[in-house]
Amino acid sequence: MNTNHDEHRLALWLDDELQGEELAAAEACFGSDPDSLAAREETRRWRAMIAAAIPANKEPPYAEFFNGRIARAIRETAPEPMPVTVRRVSWNAVLYPLAACIGMAFTFLLGVKTSDHRPDLVDIDVSGAPKAIPVDRILYTPESGVRAEWFTSLDASATVIVLDGVDAIPDSMDFSATAATPPPRDIDATAGTEPEGISDL
Amino acid sequence: MNKSSDDPLNKVRGPVGSVEPDASNDDLDDDFRLVALAQQGNLGSYDALVTRHRGRIFAMIRNMIHQEADAWDLSQEVFIKAWNALPRFEARARFSTWLYRIAHNVVYDWTRKRKIESAGEFNDEIFERERIDSGSFTTPSGGESPDEMIATGELREKIEAAIAKLSAEHREVVILKDVQGLAYKEIAVVMDCSIGTVMSRLFYARQKLQTMLKHEYESR
Repeated sequence: MNTNHDEHRLALWLDDELQGEELAAAEACFGSDPDSLAAREETRRWRAMIAAAIPANKEPPYAEFFNGRIARAIRETAPEPMPVTVRRVSWNAVLYPLAACIGMAFTFLLGVKTSDHRPDLVDIDVSGAPKAIPVDRILYTPESGVRAEWFTSLDASATVIVLDGVDAIPDSMDFSATAATPPPRDIDATAGTEPEGISDL
Repeated sequence: MNKSSDDPLNKVRGPVGSVEPDASNDDLDDDFRLVALAQQGNLGSYDALVTRHRGRIFAMIRNMIHQEADAWDLSQEVFIKAWNALPRFEARARFSTWLYRIAHNVVYDWTRKRKIESAGEFNDEIFERERIDSGSFTTPSGGESPDEMIATGELREKIEAAIAKLSAEHREVVILKDVQGLAYKEIAVVMDCSIGTVMSRLFYARQKLQTMLKHEYESR
């Protein structure tokens, strides 16, 4: 037995929504049950009370104005119909585009022709102009008596400069003094450091 | 309207689904004829459709939001949106059901927008009734005109107050079923949910209302 189906049918029967065969079948099922009959009477009584108290139909105030405003809103939102005009073929309609095309073609040809005959490019004589002279590289060394040689390798994309005559670097020299370290005021004291007492939270 | 035998309007199919208790087949046929004409751009036919359905749409929205002036504006919005969407209406549901569906969306959009606008702006002053202009259209339902109070009666006020206390889903299902008389199937279309959900919501909504209106309900 399908309970859901029976509940649906009972609800429809209680609200007088069934007709024809469906109604006959429901009557056969529920019509002999006093509780179902009483429930249907209750439902009818309820509906009658509500329907009597609250009207289903109430004309809006100023009903004609109501309609008029709707009509006006519809007219205002409706797209304007395009005026239908008979188009006649005139000579102007053909001549204007044709003249424009001829003009464009003429301008294009003129441009091509003048670009091929630029006198400033062909008429200059450059035979007397100075020529670049290749010179050897000059290496400057920081101290006198120091000789520098350089080697370059195109395959390795590297250049090595050898300085000959530079004094040996003493072991006592402190390189850290020459390293570029930012002064204390440039360091953000809060960056990357755990705030005090955070572990206590 | 000119109805010749080869009139394409005669081929317009009728609605699929249950029929409203108070809606005759002639009314439905008229709706579909008017819809077909309106779909061809006939504004006069659409005006007739607005006249036929404005009362139900206005009543539904008014019962949902309990503000007459806003209900008036939102009802307008429903019909303007319906006109814009009319080319897509395929007559698979009744025109009225389709309108209710649009009304549902309009009301929910409006409610959502109001929630966003009022978020974080809680102001005690707006809840003081003395500060509300009694002549304003947006006066809460408690401030209805004396004539209307007499016409609608005390019971109506109590039922409306009880319905207003329901959640939006429960309120809508009660209004659509018990006030507007829609079928379960139609309510499912309007609220975009299953028939089972409609049944469940209606069951709990009625139960809550009957508890709130116990005295009125039992005395009848």
